[in-house]
Amino acid sequence: MSKAIEMTGLSKKYRDKTAVKGNNFAIEEGTLFSLLGVNGAGKTTTIKMLTGLTKPTGGEAYVCGHSILSELDEIKKISSVSTQETAVAPNLTTRENLEFMAQVYGMDRAAAKKRTDDVLKQFGLDEAEHQRAGTLSGGWQRRLSIAMAMISHPKVLYLDEPTLGLDVLARMELWDVIRAMKGSITIVLTTHYMEEAESLSDEVAVMVNGEIRALGTVEKLKEQTGKETLEDAFVAIATRQQGVR
Amino acid sequence: MRSIVFCKRTIKELVRDPLSYIFCLGFPLVMLLIMTIVNNSIPEQAHMDLFQIENLAPGIAVFGLTFVMLFACLQISKDRTTAFLTRLYASPMKPMDFIAGYTIPLVVIAAAQSIITFAASFVVSLFTGYTFQIGNILVCILVLFPSMFLFIAFGLLFGSLLNDKAAPGICSILISAACILGGIWMDVDAIGGMLGKVCRALPFYHGVKAARLALQGEYADLTEPLFIILIYAVLIYVLSVFALKHKMSSDVK
Repeated sequence: MSKAIEMTGLSKKYRDKTAVKGNNFAIEEGTLFSLLGVNGAGKTTTIKMLTGLTKPTGGEAYVCGHSILSELDEIKKISSVSTQETAVAPNLTTRENLEFMAQVYGMDRAAAKKRTDDVLKQFGLDEAEHQRAGTLSGGWQRRLSIAMAMISHPKVLYLDEPTLGLDVLARMELWDVIRAMKGSITIVLTTHYMEEAESLSDEVAVMVNGEIRALGTVEKLKEQTGKETLEDAFVAIATRQQGVR
Repeated sequence: MRSIVFCKRTIKELVRDPLSYIFCLGFPLVMLLIMTIVNNSIPEQAHMDLFQIENLAPGIAVFGLTFVMLFACLQISKDRTTAFLTRLYASPMKPMDFIAGYTIPLVVIAAAQSIITFAASFVVSLFTGYTFQIGNILVCILVLFPSMFLFIAFGLLFGSLLNDKAAPGICSILISAACILGGIWMDVDAIGGMLGKVCRALPFYHGVKAARLALQGEYADLTEPLFIILIYAVLIYVLSVFALKHKMSSDVK
């Protein structure tokens, strides 16, 4: 299996704070990889660096073999991001939002229309096809937001806290949507919900104060910490003193 | 290609907002009618020609452009506040796609607004007895283009620098300043002293004056005000492009 993402010493320093501290790890192609951590752990900053939204202050990373320092244009063509906040154009309909994103990624009108037809079905958005995005419920807006990220056939998809603020039913519906995408593309997920990470992930990493403290499958992390649930394992790792492994 | 796609999206966002019609179209047309009625109540002995239709129409056209500035500002600040632009920053879109994608739809809307304003003024002129020359109206619309760019540039600038809560307040101040100091509601030519100097130092007066001269066919006097408004438009537009590009990178850090 080849690597979709490889990081070597990737770091980000703001004036007086180091958000990400020289992390080294790789993500296998076609897997769903979850980045866990408390607020301010560096998860979103890592995604921002990988998607070109912010420049690293140290290290290097490769997305599908392309350097984030020198081949950002290539990376932007093959990756897509669904941000923490719902990112839709409120006065455009569901279909228009999808067709817009498809064309932003270079599809002509006919191809964008056809791809939108497919994605509307794939994400169960058909019934809201002609509804303006701003009038959709929070769960449906988030579903549309992820569908917009998927429209370009990305090789790598970043889902930054995709179910944040959603009720239980909407969250579970989105899990089904994410599960259906597994295997075909590489997904990097950040979340605060441990049951979400446990249910969806092939591999997880726990970030604390900008550095990766643990990395592996859910079962491996439970085994390492001697805990029965991922939540307990996460707490054990997150509260462990640095240097004591 | 991506600029055009973004243009279409911006146009849809703007024309589907009911407030666009109220402020960009309804309000200027209502002011045109009100000021025409006010003008009818002013006795001839007052020698007040500011609100006669040949002066009023270009003034109202510039007045309408100030609201295009407001909507430009609100659209950009709203886009920046939501995660929508962040998503697009991570896409293959380039800074120039964003700049063109905002500017072109606003120019189209501003031009359409000016055409409607002059069409309404033409109807009003049938009742007031003034005869508009169609050629002069067309030249006047062309002369308004630097003012369109000026106000769109102010919209881009404030939209880039301010959030969607601060933007309307600052734009309201500029709308008032442009209307009063630009000579839309006040006869700046009759004012001297410091206030007169301030009015003439700002671009708004020259934009209104150029439009009035064009509508009345006084093309020989157009050069100076047109040149001044053009210089201001270019300067503010360059500044706004710089501000937008700068904010695009700083917003996501």
